[in-house]
Amino acid sequence: MEIVVTNESDVAVFAITGRLDAVSVPQLEERLNQWFEQPGKKLIFDLEGLDYISSAGLRVFLTTAKKMKARDGKLCMARLRDNVKDVFTISGFIALIPAFDTLGAAQDAVK
Amino acid sequence: MHELLTFIRAEAKKRGFSDSALNRIELVAEEALVNVFVHGYAGTQGQVEVHCLVSDDPALTIEVHDKGVAFDPLSLADPDVQADLTQRKIGGMGVFFIRKMTDRVAYRREGNRNILSMTFLNR
Repeated sequence: MEIVVTNESDVAVFAITGRLDAVSVPQLEERLNQWFEQPGKKLIFDLEGLDYISSAGLRVFLTTAKKMKARDGKLCMARLRDNVKDVFTISGFIALIPAFDTLGAAQDAVK
Repeated sequence: MHELLTFIRAEAKKRGFSDSALNRIELVAEEALVNVFVHGYAGTQGQVEVHCLVSDDPALTIEVHDKGVAFDPLSLADPDVQADLTQRKIGGMGVFFIRKMTDRVAYRREGNRNILSMTFLNR
């Protein structure tokens, strides 16, 4: 798994590629913990390159969504592949974190 | 873990499962294995075996065997997938995926082994 974080004005984009599973989750948690040390309020997960997510990955997304709510921030996801969307739908998480087909739509949503 | 998942995916592919079915099979297999690593052996060393059963019908049955503490993952209650962000609890999703994405799932205890048997039909 690879994580590339970019900041455009006050919006942070986490582009996650590869597999987000029980093995790779600590890597994402570490990057997010670093990010949460800053006062940022706008966060996007760009999942165009995400091949696979399991419950371990979902757990990080849920924790992040709860933390963003606690700091009155905005979180959303962009460009989910079909199999990733499948996991979000079955788990009900699709209703907890807004998902958009394009990165532009996600950026508009957090503005 | 990746080697086990690659093995399972290859076995399922040989049986002609579609790509979307393969994704679900791999996910369920990861969830079952992670359960054993986290709960069965609670961070200590232990063995796990993965069996892909051969049958004449186009189904795939995967069995995960471990010698950890006796534990039936299917005894866990489903998470509330309708809950809102504030109410939603962290955890319980792995077993939920195992239940939802298999066509048949059963737990049994044989001697000192936990055996979780998961069947996928090839439609």
